[in-house]
Amino acid sequence: MAEEKMNSDKMWVTMGPQHPFSHGLWTLRVEVDGEIITDAEPEVGYLHRGWEKECENRTYNKIIPMADRLCYSASMTWSHLFCKVAEEALDIEVPERAQYLRVVADEICRIQSHLMWLAAVGTDVGNLTIFLWALREREFMLDLNVRLCGQRLTTNYPRIGGVRNDMPYYFERDCMRAIERFEKSLWDIIRLTDDSSIFVGRMKGIGYITRKDVANYGITGPAMRGCGVDYDIRRDDPYDAYGEMEFEVPVLKEGDAYSRYMVRIEEMFQSCEIIRQAMKKLESIPKNAPYRLKVPKCIPEGTHMARIEDPRGEGLMYLVSDGTESPYRLKVRSPVFVNVSASKHMVQGVRIADIPAIMAMIDMCLGETDR
Amino acid sequence: MKYLDKYPKKFKGTGVIAPLGKVLRHFFTKTVPHRPVTILYPYEKEWVPDNYRGRPGLRFDRCLGCGICERVCPTTCIELVDVADDEGKMVKRPQVNLGRCMMCGYCAEYCPVDAMTTTTDYELAEFTRQDLIYDPRRLNFEYTTDMMEVHIEEHLMSNIAKGITDQPTAFYKTDRPVLEDSKCISCSKCAKVCPVNAIEMIVVGQNDKGKDIKRPKIDDKVCISCANCVIDCPKDALKMNEVL
Repeated sequence: MAEEKMNSDKMWVTMGPQHPFSHGLWTLRVEVDGEIITDAEPEVGYLHRGWEKECENRTYNKIIPMADRLCYSASMTWSHLFCKVAEEALDIEVPERAQYLRVVADEICRIQSHLMWLAAVGTDVGNLTIFLWALREREFMLDLNVRLCGQRLTTNYPRIGGVRNDMPYYFERDCMRAIERFEKSLWDIIRLTDDSSIFVGRMKGIGYITRKDVANYGITGPAMRGCGVDYDIRRDDPYDAYGEMEFEVPVLKEGDAYSRYMVRIEEMFQSCEIIRQAMKKLESIPKNAPYRLKVPKCIPEGTHMARIEDPRGEGLMYLVSDGTESPYRLKVRSPVFVNVSASKHMVQGVRIADIPAIMAMIDMCLGETDR
Repeated sequence: MKYLDKYPKKFKGTGVIAPLGKVLRHFFTKTVPHRPVTILYPYEKEWVPDNYRGRPGLRFDRCLGCGICERVCPTTCIELVDVADDEGKMVKRPQVNLGRCMMCGYCAEYCPVDAMTTTTDYELAEFTRQDLIYDPRRLNFEYTTDMMEVHIEEHLMSNIAKGITDQPTAFYKTDRPVLEDSKCISCSKCAKVCPVNAIEMIVVGQNDKGKDIKRPKIDDKVCISCANCVIDCPKDALKMNEVL
């Protein structure tokens, strides 16, 4: 066995945690034959903080700001998800105004998370202009976050039974202006990416996954929609006010890195459409309508589950409560942790230089992966 | 779909020049005529709205020392310490360790008298860790507006079922401690720990040895639902009654 290893031309190369392509503390060990990759093995866990265990000795409302810290760029959806699982356990329905406010906040969060990803893609394929332009547009979304919730990233906005505060003055006007501006400048960024044969050439035809891999590994999110699976929790298992929104779910059949890129870009346009519709609905709801319910401190005994469409895939929380003020167990299903486990399939047969382009399409976030 | 209807497209030999042209046009139409996007940071400061959640601030004279902020803090960075107030009397006021604070704003949200606020102060670097611990006097923040005070505006589920949607309330307006009479041992500890003196011990009779039997009487209008009496009761005779 040892002799076989000695004589073969293959060798294991470690990419990360210091390699610029790994956004965060993770390693991709690849087996290379010359420059062709024959095997790969992702290693995560460097950022493990014991998040799930820490939740067990905190009361329910203290977990909401902690859930923000699961992923810095998709903080809104994670705290929303925790509130949803607690509401499921208490069996209450959120007031209508809070449902629309949550939809607006979630979609702002989705846009800024995708822009962060676009900036990362730009640096990974060596185009710094994309990075600068995408981050510049992201600032407008973060400014909306500051106006609505008081902070840029760790928003702490949803509450069990509603949201923290109503819209501030002129938020609606600011929001529509930002969205309008954003759509224009996203077309500018598309001129740099899709109109450039260098960018498309680096993306097309690499990192294939099939529908079978999606089923076997449990891949969700844009990676799943990029290979022909027509499924989006916002449409197929609607939560909050998403059932009343009209939007299209982008689905592409190719299954390579470029199709995953295209799905995400289209999702940003669809998010703008959702925000417009939600804002229109919010106008018809009276301004002093309730947006937060008073909920008991203790959650009744039982097990509960809730899922949500995170920008990266399907987020899921599983709660076991024992009737006290704090959970007995809180399990988090991270979409990135599942998606990155399929990296062995994605990188098989490509060259080392293609790895950054493929792995950027996972939109790595270590906070939620390692918990 | 806006984007997927136009892309992917076939290149006609201009695949390298088109994005370069876009950048050049951007330079002449946007970058040159517009003012710089960046600012000279230490001299110019970014404008933040009033509801910005920076470090917590305290309005010293409003605070009652009830300890709700201490209990609701997720990172346990708030601690009640003894300080002398303006008249020289020793009172309990919150002290914040900003090295641990995660600026969630819970202390300002849950404060029943709006003594704790969120402030727009975000430049918090210090030379030592000891300097990061803000005592109650240093925590004081003069400039306050209505936007900094975050109020809980919750609605009771029973009210919404009845169709009443214009009576926002909060836990400190509705929740009151209730006494389980058989467990009470007349120690009057609840009356001592009450920060607003809402509890009065009333003599209801005498036991076999001739000592007074006392029972707490809670003034519902003064009580702020801080639950100090519930926590400190040695026999668990008091319980918080949650109105839903």
